[in-house]
Amino acid sequence: MTELQADRASETLTTPRIETRSFRSRYRDILIALVAFAVLAALPFFFGSKALLDFVIRCSAFGLFATSLNLLVGYTGMISFGHGMFFGLGAYGFGLLMQRTGVPIPVAFVATLAITAVFAAIIGAICVRLKEIYFAFVTLAFQMLIHSTILTWASLTGGDQGLRGGIPRPVFFGIDLANHVHLYITSCALLVLGLLLMRQIAQSPFGYTLRMIRDNARRASFIGIDVWRAKLTIFVLAALFASTGGMVMALFVSGAYPEFAYWTISGEGIFINMLGGVTTFLGPMVGTVLLLILNDTVTRYTEYHGIVLGVVILFFAIGLRKGLMDYVLEWYAQRRDGPGERG
Amino acid sequence: MKRTRQPGVSRRATLALMGAGAVTIAAPWVARAQAKTIKIGMPTILSGRVAQLGTSSRNAVLLEVEKVNAAGGLAGRQIEMVIRDSKGQPQEAARVARELVNTDGCEMLFDGEASSGSFAVHEVARDLGVLCIHTCSEASSLTADPKQHIPNAFRCVRQGIHDSIVGGSYAAAIAKAKGLKKWATCSPDYAYGRDTTGEFALYLKRFAPDVEIISESWPKLFQPDYTEVVTKILQAKPQALYTCLWGGDLTSYIDQANIYALFTQMEVFAVNMADYTALTVVKNLPKGIHSGNRYIKTFPKTPENAAWGDAYRAKYNEYPTNWSWQNATAVMLLTEAVKKANSTDGKKVAEALRGLTIKCPFGADGTVTMRAEDNTLVGYAIGWGTTIPQEPYVPEVKAGDWKTIFELEAEWKKSKGYT
Amino acid sequence: MDIDALAGCLASPACLVTQTTSGLIIGMLLFLVAVGLTLIFGVLKVVNFSHGAFYMFGAYFAMTAYQLTDSFALAMLCGAAGTALLGLIFERVFMSRVYGADVLMQLLVCYAFVLIFDDVVRMIWGPEFKSMGMPSAFQVPPLFIAGGVVPPYYLLLIGVALAAALVLGLGLARTRIGKVIRAAAHNPGMVSALGINTGLLYGGVFALGGMLAGLGGALAAPVRSLTPGMGFSVLIESFIVTVIGGMGSILGALIGALLIGLIRSFGSLGFPLFTEGLMYLFMVIVLVSRPTGLFGKEVA
Repeated sequence: MTELQADRASETLTTPRIETRSFRSRYRDILIALVAFAVLAALPFFFGSKALLDFVIRCSAFGLFATSLNLLVGYTGMISFGHGMFFGLGAYGFGLLMQRTGVPIPVAFVATLAITAVFAAIIGAICVRLKEIYFAFVTLAFQMLIHSTILTWASLTGGDQGLRGGIPRPVFFGIDLANHVHLYITSCALLVLGLLLMRQIAQSPFGYTLRMIRDNARRASFIGIDVWRAKLTIFVLAALFASTGGMVMALFVSGAYPEFAYWTISGEGIFINMLGGVTTFLGPMVGTVLLLILNDTVTRYTEYHGIVLGVVILFFAIGLRKGLMDYVLEWYAQRRDGPGERG
Repeated sequence: MKRTRQPGVSRRATLALMGAGAVTIAAPWVARAQAKTIKIGMPTILSGRVAQLGTSSRNAVLLEVEKVNAAGGLAGRQIEMVIRDSKGQPQEAARVARELVNTDGCEMLFDGEASSGSFAVHEVARDLGVLCIHTCSEASSLTADPKQHIPNAFRCVRQGIHDSIVGGSYAAAIAKAKGLKKWATCSPDYAYGRDTTGEFALYLKRFAPDVEIISESWPKLFQPDYTEVVTKILQAKPQALYTCLWGGDLTSYIDQANIYALFTQMEVFAVNMADYTALTVVKNLPKGIHSGNRYIKTFPKTPENAAWGDAYRAKYNEYPTNWSWQNATAVMLLTEAVKKANSTDGKKVAEALRGLTIKCPFGADGTVTMRAEDNTLVGYAIGWGTTIPQEPYVPEVKAGDWKTIFELEAEWKKSKGYT
Repeated sequence: MDIDALAGCLASPACLVTQTTSGLIIGMLLFLVAVGLTLIFGVLKVVNFSHGAFYMFGAYFAMTAYQLTDSFALAMLCGAAGTALLGLIFERVFMSRVYGADVLMQLLVCYAFVLIFDDVVRMIWGPEFKSMGMPSAFQVPPLFIAGGVVPPYYLLLIGVALAAALVLGLGLARTRIGKVIRAAAHNPGMVSALGINTGLLYGGVFALGGMLAGLGGALAAPVRSLTPGMGFSVLIESFIVTVIGGMGSILGALIGALLIGLIRSFGSLGFPLFTEGLMYLFMVIVLVSRPTGLFGKEVA
């Protein structure tokens, strides 16, 4: 940890160089995003498997959610235990708008984001002032508050049975989300676009401000950064991406259920981040893929998946002591810097 | 200098990793050709607090499937059950259900989910058009609400509304005889608890108009401690109490209410008491709790029912649950429907299922029917009685009258705007 | 909302006694779990996410011991001693390996054990819920105090929990071991420099925390049903308690637990549908006005 912190600190000192690097790397990011999207979009033409498409759709939902959580946890050092509430909010907001108002999908999408932003701004304004473990618990408390409201307000939300009867999906711009392949492509597009945007945020000067706050909030405020405002901004931005993940999930299951707003979703998000590693941008994405594969294969063979999952976690936490991507990176760096290697 | 945050490296490594991952996971996803055996998929809850729902459902299904296979299978095809855990999470239930159909080649689904999970599987059935029989979800709206209706989904489960009608009329008779006018309710705060309790109160008042509900408590589902609820009811001093708590929650409640001597101060009507899971677990079961039948092998009092209960017990060393008889009935119905359709094609079987009446050990008159109008099970044994602390636990069960149930249910549906 | 019922109860002594004792009962059981949590956090700076599992094991150990020996006292002893041992092993073998690591890594280890312990219980005792049953000595009619109803078993329960609180408080304040523990909470490096075996100390604190939670579980076993995963709802509530009271403060845990108990018992009269929400709301209010909880020390 201390070693990493030292690395992070040295980065913040080299800000001018990063500026130019990020300018160049922006185009490379976009290029990579386009290639990734093209590869994903081409998948259905090579594999007939619907389960593979389902898998990628779920990866999109959880990937957006986990990566947005990493903006808080990894980049700003805000360990939120309640990030799942925005996942749930996205699913319910979108589902309700589609079921009750019958607006076109893009309108519902934007409106849901707006609703999420309002909620996140209010909750964030209360929470971001708090430190460390207290921030974690108050976000958790808000999550439970929202979960309990969803359960209690049954006339709107359907209570514990969730939003039933399916989410209507009128065709827009020639996209029919009731069609499995269309839904798949749309999810991929949202995922790639979401990741690209988050990458831009992380690499922007604002992103480096966040890192500085994480490493030393006091120093940041001494040089004139409004820490509270920066934290609130990233809290709201992260909520928007989590909400997008929730919408993808709502479309996948064609409904919204209180479990989406339960703390376990937040817990899973943290877990994914740990699994993949929080020091790289794509760590959470790797974590998502890893967890879903693990989950899907283990539940196939045993109902004692808790033990299996637990042992795997122990391997990461005690054996590697870091996320997979962190480990890979370190290993790679060591090999590259080691004597006799190329490079 | 050690630089661990080279973005180029991280992305290349990541992409390579993801690529490798994609190849490994894509391997088992190659669709398989239709086999001689027929696969039936079943997402259910096998872990967590209500794992018993899943295990006792699975036991019953396997018990019945064994018989069907021994008798030659479904239209000559042996049944292979593929039963997977959803952990009680709706998104997992949906995922597992889709995977069972799309990857494992299951041609039909048994939905062993409760509450939100069953609605999630229902949406999968709507999307994929696969034949689906719900075997655990008691939520009335799943089949009563025409918005939920799809031709390929059936419900082979008892229903809260039926229990409430029978319970209401049974309780009203006792209320009149004993002069119980002041009632309290205590039910879990979720859709099943609220609906069932509301309906019970409705029919109780209908049959005994001078009854008054003076106190309501809504503990959370799986709440560990009911002390505050128990004392609240004691404060209200009702003459009778209705509760639709179930399983471990009910036994906790009984244990906690017992030490406040609640059961000596009022008549208690606990619709979900007469299930072996609860009856055998409670150590100090108070005498004389009124309960609906969940599953007991002495009601209906037929040799078929007793034999089934004993066979289950012999095989699994425990008594069947309410979920067990429902799942067993689902297999029986399916078997008869396939016989009638002479095909295992989902559409044809669904057609045959609609309105099908079969002989069944759990029927009120020895038969049960899959009602055509809303694809739901009717005619199953339903009744109320009082408990004693040892076997047979509920010696006398007063059977409910299905004619009354049908009349009042139709009225209820109208009032809900379902018809 | 049912404010009338609440006001009516506050005006009647019988109702006040009954609801207050019911709040005390809920609170004291919570306290036993929460105090271990707060103790472990205070000394080891670890948020023991798997603490609910100790409560669960305490209940299961007690039930098994009771079924084998038919002795209530032995059941309680087994519940407490078994979980103490479990806590010691858990800390020495696993938790001690991640003290230097990220907070999240520690959480992850705990989370892994939440999953593993639940499955272990399911393997050993089965997935169905169990009940220990009330010992016949306590199957007596409840007492009436000023018109309020109080079951004798709950008097015992409150007594045991209060005694535990007292022993713990005095032990930490007066004994040598207590001093060492407090010193370790303050400055672990100094304590180990003075030649005290911190490994043993940490293991001991974990064992003590586990034992208290196990005792809570054992005391709850006669009145609550036992299922795998039963530790969970208790864990969440104990977190609320420790956060309200201030992480690391034993007095805070006691006050926080009693407050939550009273909120539950009186809240169920006044706000029957929002009792749970009331707790979270209370926690938010406390934290916003006092970010370190009622009795917490300022975090540097």
